[in-house]
Amino acid sequence: MKLKVFRYDGESGESRYDSFEIESGPGMTVLSALFKIQEELDDSLAFRYSCRGAVCGSCGMLINKVPRLACRTQVEGLLRGEGQVKLRPFPGMEETVDWDPEREVLVEPLPNLAKIKDLIVDMDKFFEFYRAVEPTFKPASEAPEKERLMDQEAVSELEKCTNCVLCASCVGACPISGKTEREGKEERGGEGETKEFLGPAALAKLYRFHIDPREVEDDSRLMLANDKRGWWGCEFNANCKAVCPKSVPPILGIGKARREIQKLGKEPE
Amino acid sequence: MGGEETESGYPIHIHDVIIIGAGLTGLRAAIETVDAGLDTAVISKVHPLRSHSVAAQGGINAALGNARAGDSWEDHAFDTVKGSDYLADQDAVELMCKNAPGAVIELEHFGTVFSRLQDGRIAQRPFGGGMFPRTCYAADRTGHNILHTLYEQLIGRELEQSKGSEVSGASEESKGSKESKGSEESKSGGKITFYEEFFVTSLVKTGISSGEKGPEQGERCVGCTCINLADRTLHGFSCRALLLATGGFGRLFTRSTNALINTGDGASLALRAGVSLKDMEFVQFHPTTLYGTNILITEGARGEGGYLLNNKNERFMKDYAPKSMELAPRDIVARSIQQEVDEGRGFDDKYVLLDLRHLGKDKIMERLPGIRLISMDFAGVDPIEEPIPVQPGQHYSMGGIAVGNDLETELPGLYAAGECSCVSVHGANRLGGNSLLETVVFGKLAGQAISKSLSFSSAGEGVRSGDKKAVLEKLSEEDERVKALLARDSGVKMAGLRDELKKLMFEYFGVFREGKKMEEGLEKLLELKSRYTEVYIENKSAVFNQALIYALELRGLFDIAEAVARGAIARKESRGSHARTDYPDRDDENFLSHTIYRLEGPGAERKIEGKPERKPEEKVGKPEEKPVLEYQPVRLGKFPVKERVY
Repeated sequence: MKLKVFRYDGESGESRYDSFEIESGPGMTVLSALFKIQEELDDSLAFRYSCRGAVCGSCGMLINKVPRLACRTQVEGLLRGEGQVKLRPFPGMEETVDWDPEREVLVEPLPNLAKIKDLIVDMDKFFEFYRAVEPTFKPASEAPEKERLMDQEAVSELEKCTNCVLCASCVGACPISGKTEREGKEERGGEGETKEFLGPAALAKLYRFHIDPREVEDDSRLMLANDKRGWWGCEFNANCKAVCPKSVPPILGIGKARREIQKLGKEPE
Repeated sequence: MGGEETESGYPIHIHDVIIIGAGLTGLRAAIETVDAGLDTAVISKVHPLRSHSVAAQGGINAALGNARAGDSWEDHAFDTVKGSDYLADQDAVELMCKNAPGAVIELEHFGTVFSRLQDGRIAQRPFGGGMFPRTCYAADRTGHNILHTLYEQLIGRELEQSKGSEVSGASEESKGSKESKGSEESKSGGKITFYEEFFVTSLVKTGISSGEKGPEQGERCVGCTCINLADRTLHGFSCRALLLATGGFGRLFTRSTNALINTGDGASLALRAGVSLKDMEFVQFHPTTLYGTNILITEGARGEGGYLLNNKNERFMKDYAPKSMELAPRDIVARSIQQEVDEGRGFDDKYVLLDLRHLGKDKIMERLPGIRLISMDFAGVDPIEEPIPVQPGQHYSMGGIAVGNDLETELPGLYAAGECSCVSVHGANRLGGNSLLETVVFGKLAGQAISKSLSFSSAGEGVRSGDKKAVLEKLSEEDERVKALLARDSGVKMAGLRDELKKLMFEYFGVFREGKKMEEGLEKLLELKSRYTEVYIENKSAVFNQALIYALELRGLFDIAEAVARGAIARKESRGSHARTDYPDRDDENFLSHTIYRLEGPGAERKIEGKPERKPEEKVGKPEEKPVLEYQPVRLGKFPVKERVY
């Protein structure tokens, strides 16, 4: 089989696709195939990696036009046509090159984030949006001597969001993320912040703090994203939920947040 | 100031404290130093959230007594000491176990979402070698949850800083480098700066001969040099205290549960700065790693009631640890599995089975959802329907940089904590659930020790001219080394050499060891090491040149391999994870002591002043440094040394 890999040189701005002939075997993941290329064929290929066990979130990339973690994506499964995901149109879906899905695996960087080198994208913007939702636990009360009590049901509900590994696959799949210059941007102080949609991962993180029973039960977390950059930017394409390697459902949180805001009569415009 | 200077072409960053490594230890330490008002930099070769701590599954030990009343720190300490095969220092163990409940409660207060009991308190599960169910957990994603929480805490501090600095003027971000700055100046003292995707190439010391006046006499660690992966530029760092929190060296072995980034960089950096390593021969092989990829299958799977089965469908642990069965400590279970396989009772002569089916779907889904996903993703097995194929694999490094209970090394200003260090709390075998505990307890204590030693903050002016000179000298030395490596166009291929090393280590210094075989292994190791001088890479790019980083990591792996090998050969006994077929018994008379390994001689970089006579790269591989082994007594305590039966 062949791995067709997007190559990009940030210095010259040039890009191309390279095809590498690989002998695949059972259990070979896209990440292990990339390492094979690095070790045996071309040591200049660049991609991020760390845990190789789908927990660290380093290796999110566009594989056969779907954002996935390279480490948990089996090459042979792809060739057999398994694990196909139906997605609404998003920038990564555009046909960029011919490829034969029965014999080739197409590997490209995540869309919606600036390219740096080959499969490595600039994650600064992603983490800027993460910071924008103030992702720090703000307890409602002074710290007790022991732990704050929680129901396991509440824990299970929170886990749906805390399972996020911040791999940015959802942002890569989102038809709204990456679109610039949206309307309704004039308010919100002059800190020079981006007006772009914060994206599913950041909003899932924000929602996780909103529903944490140990935090103040008010609308302060909801109001942090009460605009088009936040809850109201989502158009419920649901690509985020479909591609999440950890089954995090950002759109469910976004929908619930909107309904709560509507109940309070605080929706913008 | 606290900014950068670019004289002589190298950016130099000045901070009070530099922490290398952004896993649990590094981040916990950073919280402490930032809160103490210190200007703190965290340097990591990956984004902090990609650190290997994120992969910890099963949990963190603390005698909370939630799951069963009556647990105490003393019981926890006893289990830890017994688990260590009496090699742990008992005062250090006491420190860790006493601090454990407070550390876990603090994590909960930071926002970690732990799994809960019916009554809402933190849940606990039994783990190997523990008398009580005392392992607190967040399903089977405990490391992930704690690491994200600690990072969130630091981001909170960073955001507060930048709010504070907005008043005093906008800070300019330097584009093209991956550092994210909190603020230039923060009124409320502490400051955090992350240098992500920066690879540390060396530590910088000053010595007596620098002729500088100051409060300290003698040698001192004053900084480090780094390569920025994004553009291959060399950066100098100057500090008043430096903490190594770089994790373990699992990637020295072919079969390892560790992340691919775990190349033991910190131990090599320390060794080359003349600092001793301790107990390096004690390498933990985890009994249950997924056959094929060796991804960890948590001990929690057995803690929840999972069985180990051989090809006769027997729970073979009855023959090895009849009382504890599957929940005997890791060294014992790993050896038992290996023996079953070696004696033909495994499957394909490679693995045994971990059966969870009797736990039922609900329990598996609630307590072990991550394990189920891993088994399905990486082995095509759903543990609700089928048993999981498992085999032992390298998991943890008990040994590490020699430190005292205050986490300081013998080199003033240099600290080490977490897996890269050896306090020692794990001795010859670590208990499951004690490594996460070590990271947060000793990370915090390291931060406190550093803060205490630097009782006032004075970034910028605090840097003496001698320090800067030392940093600059080291930078040009490192620059030469990198250039020499890049200039080589033929020779030995990096990947092949690394593979050979990893295979050799697993084969000759694996689960079972034997004197003659190890001698042979060391000989081969030294032969491989000598070839490192000829290593070349084809990639000459400046942007994300990962081949270059692998080649630099490989030098460190050779340093560590030799320490492991020499320590293992010299220790003529079996204790904990160090199991010798030629010396099957523990020998307290001769070996109830820590192995100390260091490099001595001209190459040990004892001198800072003046140009080295040889070119730096010639030092590599054919070192004049003489490896020296010494022994240090174990600090015993209230628990008498006894035979270890489970």
